[in-house]
Amino acid sequence: MRNFCRSCTQSRPQLLSSPLVFRSSPYLFFKARYLSSTQNNALSRFDGAPILKYVRQKVEERSKLLSLISDDFSNAEDVSLAKRIKDLEPLETAWKEWSNTRKSLQETLPLLDDADPAMRALAVEEHASLLETLTNLLDSTFPTLLVPASDTAHLSALVELKAGVGGSEASLFLAELVRMYTRAANTLGWRATTMSSNMLEGGNGMKDAILEVKGDKAYDALRWESGIHRVQRVPATEANGRVHTSTVAIVVLPLSEENDSHAGKDELFSPDEIKIEVMRARGAGGQHVNKTESAVRLTHLPTGITVSMQDERSQHQNRRRAFQVLRARLMDRKLSREVMERRAVRRNLVRSADRSEKIRTYNYAQASLPPMLIFYSVIAHTKLQDRVTDHRLGLSLMNLMSVMEGDGLQEILQALEERYRNESLEEVLTQ
Amino acid sequence: MIPAPSTRQLVVALKRSVGARAAELELKWMRQAVEQPPIPASLHPTPTFEEMLARRVAGEPLQYILGSQPFGPLDLIVRPPVLIPRPETEDWTIRLSERLRPTKSKPISILDLCTGSGCIALLLCHLLPPGSAHATGIDVAESAVQLAKDNGAFCGITVLDNGPPLCADFPKWDSNTFTPLLANIRDPAFVIAANLRPPYDILTANPPYIPKSQYDTLPGSVKDYEDPRALIGDLDSGSAQGLSFYHMIAALVGDKSRPILKSDGIIALEVGDGQAQEVARILHEQAQVHHIEIWRDPWDKERVVVGRSSP
Repeated sequence: MRNFCRSCTQSRPQLLSSPLVFRSSPYLFFKARYLSSTQNNALSRFDGAPILKYVRQKVEERSKLLSLISDDFSNAEDVSLAKRIKDLEPLETAWKEWSNTRKSLQETLPLLDDADPAMRALAVEEHASLLETLTNLLDSTFPTLLVPASDTAHLSALVELKAGVGGSEASLFLAELVRMYTRAANTLGWRATTMSSNMLEGGNGMKDAILEVKGDKAYDALRWESGIHRVQRVPATEANGRVHTSTVAIVVLPLSEENDSHAGKDELFSPDEIKIEVMRARGAGGQHVNKTESAVRLTHLPTGITVSMQDERSQHQNRRRAFQVLRARLMDRKLSREVMERRAVRRNLVRSADRSEKIRTYNYAQASLPPMLIFYSVIAHTKLQDRVTDHRLGLSLMNLMSVMEGDGLQEILQALEERYRNESLEEVLTQ
Repeated sequence: MIPAPSTRQLVVALKRSVGARAAELELKWMRQAVEQPPIPASLHPTPTFEEMLARRVAGEPLQYILGSQPFGPLDLIVRPPVLIPRPETEDWTIRLSERLRPTKSKPISILDLCTGSGCIALLLCHLLPPGSAHATGIDVAESAVQLAKDNGAFCGITVLDNGPPLCADFPKWDSNTFTPLLANIRDPAFVIAANLRPPYDILTANPPYIPKSQYDTLPGSVKDYEDPRALIGDLDSGSAQGLSFYHMIAALVGDKSRPILKSDGIIALEVGDGQAQEVARILHEQAQVHHIEIWRDPWDKERVVVGRSSP
């Protein structure tokens, strides 16, 4: 079930900014906008889309290139020309489909006012179908062809969670977030395992945790989860029913598949840059001792990054895991650096994840509010309902429980992905 | 959920005995083992969490309670009183495997003395390419030979019951093979008695090396649960440095009338704290082993003596 609430009346490309609640699916709204306009108006709105102008330019560029290429492939630059032409081919195909569909649409227009009701009904049906095709080309096909394919699509993800302010309440919430991501990962066909966790002394909470999420596009989908997650609720332990605010800091790192770890060939670091330490003294060791002492700490000397791993009973496993985390941290630095460099050479609208930014708030209904407060809450239309607000999207989902169960999170991930795509598209169009 | 008082008391007792941090991890591993037993119930009946906790507090090694010990990428079955595989051994076995370059067309034979759980031989078989390694494991304890067999099957390594394969038959095997055998290496005729097929390319061993004098000072979890035959390295009251087995192995390797190792074959022996130099000397002087290296373990102790046999 969709339970989408948006403040912004335009589905793209602007950022949705205010967390006010507005019940409507962006898709339905988008469609309604075209259908409610007069028919000609619909077409002219289509024609004015900046993306069309851009696609037309590209198609024209292609025909120009075609005229430059020699018939017998005799020029030195023919090969690169041919490649350029080939690259633009899918766009050309889509453009042809666009033009044909547009033409057909225009032809159905007069029939919409036909005297014969049967003919009219047919025309309405035809018209709707063509409009749908155009919308699809405009919203999906063209953007997909224009935005460069993600070069991180093959990467899995490491989700690092650290309890922030709020003491044990933050730790409890951290454990709930681990559960949320684990369940969401399962729903999305990924494999999630808790690679490392520090339980709260004698409680159910976790002080920190690292979750490994393996699967196609896991990193691309989860990367926007980096940032501060805030929970507002009355802790179970709070006697006088006051709402506490606690935070959990999340960093999502790109996890590449392990290339042969013992071969030591790695573009991110060389083996002699790593200091490997085993924790604690073992006395004589060997046959003298059978206590499990498997903790490992790695230090990447050039950056000073350290990774400790102790969750596995095998030192070998802990070492493997520690290397995975280290590689992910170094890969993350590399990607960030690349984004910064790109930003320096051209105008870059695409945001990178700001890890200190408060990105989301999880509000729990206060069942135990004193009656007077409930009264005020009703008047103010706030506080009473469970909800999750993503501050970047200005999106509030009223089904907090569904989000915490992992299903609802998908909606947020999709919306964030869409936002990213739109920003990338806009960047292409303004180049 | 508040645990029952007895459980809580046990948790406190465990923390007192192994430290809060270690206890936290051990409790987690016990819970994991209850939820997902690492070993099928037919091979190791999983105790309840409370039973595990009580046994651990009583001093039993965690590995025996859980029934398993990871060893490199393998999960091995452990069963008292067979020696629990140690992380030091895991480390050097992986290192040794990286040094070997056998292929199916150029396979190697491995003899692992004092094989115990079979850990060294099995990890080598697992890490080396299929069909490139054929290992024989020798132990004096029936419990060890049985466990080594079970481990071979559990790890998906081909276990041969009818004695070690002939060198000439190696090319027939698409997989690596492991043959655990009951034999006493103190018996001068054991090579013939066990129907071994020397000479071997590799000889490995983690022989008992704890001096008798140190045995009484060992932690209870070692002394009270693990087979003293896998630990004590002194066979007679005469020597007391825990080196009896190295002398025996050196004699075996040095006997050129019946060479146990091929010329330039590799010998790798785990040693106890402070024994490496002496073992290197024994191998060099008594068995003419050359190109001797001493490898350190992750805790920076001299742990393995590696060398090559002379022609």
